Amino acid sequence: MAELHIIGQIVGATGFPQSSLFCKWGVHTGGAWRLLSGLKEGQTQVDVPQTGEVAYWSHPIDLHYATKGLHGWPKLHFQVWHQDSFGRCQLYGYGYCHVPSSPGHHRIHCVTWRPLGSWQEQLAQMFVGGGPQLRSPDLVYSGADRYRLHTEAMGTVELELGIVMRHFDKYGVES
Amino acid sequence: AAMATSNPSVFLLTVNGQIEGANFPEYDNLYCKYCFVYGHDWAPTSGLEEGITQITCKGSQSSHKLIWNFPLETTFKSTNPSGWPQLVLSVYGPDVFGNDVVRGYGATHIPFTPGQHTRTVPMFVPEPTWRLQKFTSWLMGRRPEYTDPKVVAQGEGREVTRVRSQGFVTVSFHIITKDMKKLGYDTGPSSPANTAAAPSGWSAEEQPINMQ
Repeated sequence: MAELHIIGQIVGATGFPQSSLFCKWGVHTGGAWRLLSGLKEGQTQVDVPQTGEVAYWSHPIDLHYATKGLHGWPKLHFQVWHQDSFGRCQLYGYGYCHVPSSPGHHRIHCVTWRPLGSWQEQLAQMFVGGGPQLRSPDLVYSGADRYRLHTEAMGTVELELGIVMRHFDKYGVES
Repeated sequence: AAMATSNPSVFLLTVNGQIEGANFPEYDNLYCKYCFVYGHDWAPTSGLEEGITQITCKGSQSSHKLIWNFPLETTFKSTNPSGWPQLVLSVYGPDVFGNDVVRGYGATHIPFTPGQHTRTVPMFVPEPTWRLQKFTSWLMGRRPEYTDPKVVAQGEGREVTRVRSQGFVTVSFHIITKDMKKLGYDTGPSSPANTAAAPSGWSAEEQPINMQ
């Protein structure tokens, strides 16, 4: 069995309409992967930056996987939410990225998008917030029914991930 | 410890570095406490696990730089990369009435590729939720604080907290590892002498994240 360590942070987010953001995140893998230690999902704190518009979460990630195959390589998926001063939450973006497959330190910019409603819904969203959300969140990291969606671009989630691989070379894997 | 082992069961991580300084636009006269947080499979073998820097204030020339130049020298041993050590930082300074209040918490993983690395760590404080609490805490000099700063190194339980990021601390590391390769771990290429990464975050306008 080969082993993969993912050690790093969800640093923060940039490029969203407002700050005061938090992020729900998770890791999705195929059937050959087994999580040996660490939490594979979570939710960051809400950051309201004092200066600038970059929200910093510094959310630690420390995952240890064992695998029997390359299929279903881990994917990190995100939902970025905005929380206003009254505690109400509004979805700001969905995004996913593959966990890097080469050992070492990686800086990742994960782009995000948000579903676009009808023009009536967009008008309402301008005044009262809210907006359409995905019924099933796995659409974020799968391509299956994407053609049904109309979406708009949102900001970027910044990650720093360190990857340690063990015994992959014994199976002839080059990375 | 003997340098030559043919069948190691543990690997070593040596951290030589310094807490260079900080960038806090709104605050001055700050000191920093640090400690290491690590998993069950890890143990420090030499060096200090925690410490406190001097109190520093912004220089007269570059008015936004706070310098500590505080040494970090620690070695850890482990059987497993899980629980890789993190450096936890807490910065404190005086408020208007002279009480010591927290100005920021932050944490960063110790880099694991051998070589030189610089990290700019964003620092945040827990935010009181209502305006009245904000006012009374300002008056009494008692901001919300974490009872144990080590919680900053964990991901659980963060869903209910609201924080404000208000500064950065710059730390540089020189990393040496021993026997990771022998145990089968590939940590990637050693870092080049000049870390390309982020600007050091010295000026109040610069932010470590490149915005395209």
